[in-house]
Amino acid sequence: MEFFSNLAIGFGVALTPANLAFAFLGAMVGTLIGVLPGIGPIATIAMLLPLTFHLEPVSGLIMLAGIFYGAQYGGSTTAILVNLPGETSSVVTCIDGHQMARQGRAGAALAAAALGSFFAGCVATALIAGFAPPLARVGQSFGAPEYFSLMVLGLVAAVVLAHGSVIKAIAMIVLGLLIGLVGTDGNTGGQRFTFGIRELTDGIDVATIAIGVFGLGEIISNLSRPEEQRSLLVQRISRLWPTGDDFRRMVPAVLRGTALGSVLGVLPGGGATLSAFAAYAAEKKSSRDPSRFGQGAIEGVAGPESANNAGAQTSFIPMLTLGIPGNAVMALMIGALTIHGIQPGPQIMTERPGLFWGMIASMWIGNLMLVVINLPLIGIWVQLLRVPYRFLYLAILLFCAIGVYTVNNAASAVMLAAFFGVVGFVLWRLDCEPAPMILGFVLGPLMEENLRRAMKISGGDPMIFIDRKISLGLLVAAGILLVLVALPAIRGKREVVFKEN
Amino acid sequence: MKKLTLALLAATCVAAAGPAMAQDKYPSKPVRIIVPYAPGGATDITSRLFGEQLKNILGQQVVVESKPGAFGIIAIEQMARSNPDGYTLMVGNVSTNAITPVLFKSKFTLDYEKSVTSVSRLVIYPSFLITTTANFNVGSVKDLVDYAKKNPGKVRYTSAGVGSFPHFDMEVFARRAGADMVHIPNKTGAAGMINDLVVGDAQVAMLNAASGAAMIRAGKLRPIAVLAEQRLKDYPDVPTLAEAGFPGVGTLHWQSMIAPSQTPKPVLDTLFKAIQEAAKAKALQDAFAKQFVAIRPNASLDEAKTWLAGELNNWRKITSEVKIDMN
Repeated sequence: MEFFSNLAIGFGVALTPANLAFAFLGAMVGTLIGVLPGIGPIATIAMLLPLTFHLEPVSGLIMLAGIFYGAQYGGSTTAILVNLPGETSSVVTCIDGHQMARQGRAGAALAAAALGSFFAGCVATALIAGFAPPLARVGQSFGAPEYFSLMVLGLVAAVVLAHGSVIKAIAMIVLGLLIGLVGTDGNTGGQRFTFGIRELTDGIDVATIAIGVFGLGEIISNLSRPEEQRSLLVQRISRLWPTGDDFRRMVPAVLRGTALGSVLGVLPGGGATLSAFAAYAAEKKSSRDPSRFGQGAIEGVAGPESANNAGAQTSFIPMLTLGIPGNAVMALMIGALTIHGIQPGPQIMTERPGLFWGMIASMWIGNLMLVVINLPLIGIWVQLLRVPYRFLYLAILLFCAIGVYTVNNAASAVMLAAFFGVVGFVLWRLDCEPAPMILGFVLGPLMEENLRRAMKISGGDPMIFIDRKISLGLLVAAGILLVLVALPAIRGKREVVFKEN
Repeated sequence: MKKLTLALLAATCVAAAGPAMAQDKYPSKPVRIIVPYAPGGATDITSRLFGEQLKNILGQQVVVESKPGAFGIIAIEQMARSNPDGYTLMVGNVSTNAITPVLFKSKFTLDYEKSVTSVSRLVIYPSFLITTTANFNVGSVKDLVDYAKKNPGKVRYTSAGVGSFPHFDMEVFARRAGADMVHIPNKTGAAGMINDLVVGDAQVAMLNAASGAAMIRAGKLRPIAVLAEQRLKDYPDVPTLAEAGFPGVGTLHWQSMIAPSQTPKPVLDTLFKAIQEAAKAKALQDAFAKQFVAIRPNASLDEAKTWLAGELNNWRKITSEVKIDMN
């Protein structure tokens, strides 16, 4: 019964004309800035933040949340169309989404992303309405050992991401881990691989690497090909809507992605980021024909996009109940709440039911608005690909540069992105996939921090990872996954042996 | 000929416009405030709240720009190197503008004390010495000290990172108490520290009072002392750290407006007066009161200067007592 009364409170708040207008405004602005990678959500929200001082807290939050998931929608659009991930989660969408665009199926990919996200949003909203308090407790049971084991599981899953050689995938993960070391050592304050460059003291921002390796790397590799082989082939845009076969493949992927994303989003910090990668790995492992992945498999778009959206939605639970932001946008939302004297805490649901449930209900409404805004736009976005590449790539370059600059307002980040563009090109020539590298880069620092922290807590006893039940479970899962990854390789070797006999 | 006349005309115009603009009353164009953090944090919000008041008082837009990185050095140097005309200022805090210049002196490419001047302190923040209730049961500072002494290396404290003021505060506290505690740094700041306490990764910390309020109400955290000038109105039973037997321990966190040292005196005067006036605005007082933040501008420009110098001296003392090797 609580489920319905919670939703009733929420929709009562979210459906007032003013709050509907704020949700629409947020979703619209979010979509626009998401599609224009130059103007990131962080810069936009920072500019809009003073405006929220004068609004009702819930209205301000509804608008900021609208911008947040609107930008995620928009971000997947650029990932699919021009291989330009705006943030970590859309790195995965690039892999198959952009391949689909190259095959003239951009419309289907965009529709899969939009519909998958919407479904995930509906489920996550219902989930939060029904189970918010117990879900909040899950986040509070995750200490350092649990996080470490979760990251181990995530890294093992990263191997599955690659569709080529396992050795290369492992090499890319390790490269990512190494790049993740750059910056200040969190435990001693010492400098690692910063070479005396002050801009590196806080490490490298993931957007810099993602835009460099994917966006710029793609441009260089495109330009190195003769014109007729370039990736954005305009003549072959077939249809805008997924086929019946596409839908059959999509549905289970969306369901699995939603489930994974909802669970991982609840974990404060890295959870939501992990969800898209985890969903991709799950799709590939459960597919009867994993070789289709990386070649434009619609499941590779639908699964991660659903997971990403579900994770983004459930990550509001740790944000509102623990005050832990899942990303920079959420940090800004906490800032907006602070101004109104609202501190996130476990009792926010009972102390401010209007705010909490109004926000949750508005997310569902916002998701609906996004589908309504975005589905008709697909036709227009796809037309964008008809722009001759010699113009398009200049525009992409420009937006990449602005986007990287606005992360920290630092010109050095643009230089760094250019460097990673070259790295991306080299990796492409070597046939190494960058996605596992990004995952290693994101998870590595979290894994290190939690490992060292767990060892400090236990006084140097590694048994802490086995004594804690959740941690043990995650490690066992990682072990099973590792065996699953290794099996085909072992089998392959045996066949070779047989041939020689 | 015509071209030459035009050129001459243009030159005269430029020459005439130059002094006229210089004579304009400050400020005649938008003022930029550089903040050494990403948007959304406490320092960013303080700058925006003050910025809004200053906009009304000065009659010019106030633009807050974030330049995070390198413990604040990037923001400080950009501000210090910009034209000293009052159009580029900075709002920093005890970490970036008092600890960083002491702890990372060698990383600066300019002489901090010679290059910047304090316009005025803006606000001060109280902190709680706070414990978790997850796996720890101490009700007072005395209990904490007793427990920590009996269990050396078993009490863990969290901080906002190595070399952050909550780290120094706890280190100094442990020394005065004669206890051996383990440091668990968390670079994600207050939110990360709260999480560490709630899940029991750490048992104690020096935490911004407003940040802990919700978790205190939920019974997850317990304040055992407050670091403030006096007890907080909302927590009459929580003694100050001085009352609990640790006077002089801990940092009253502050945020302050800083300008390039060559900024003309009249410009600094205008800014100083504007801050004094902004401090009286009810909207500002209400917004800060909700976070237990006290608005505390300096008494005069001179006092602002000696105050910042005093802060730097204080941190020289603390960092020589508690040696943290940052390289």
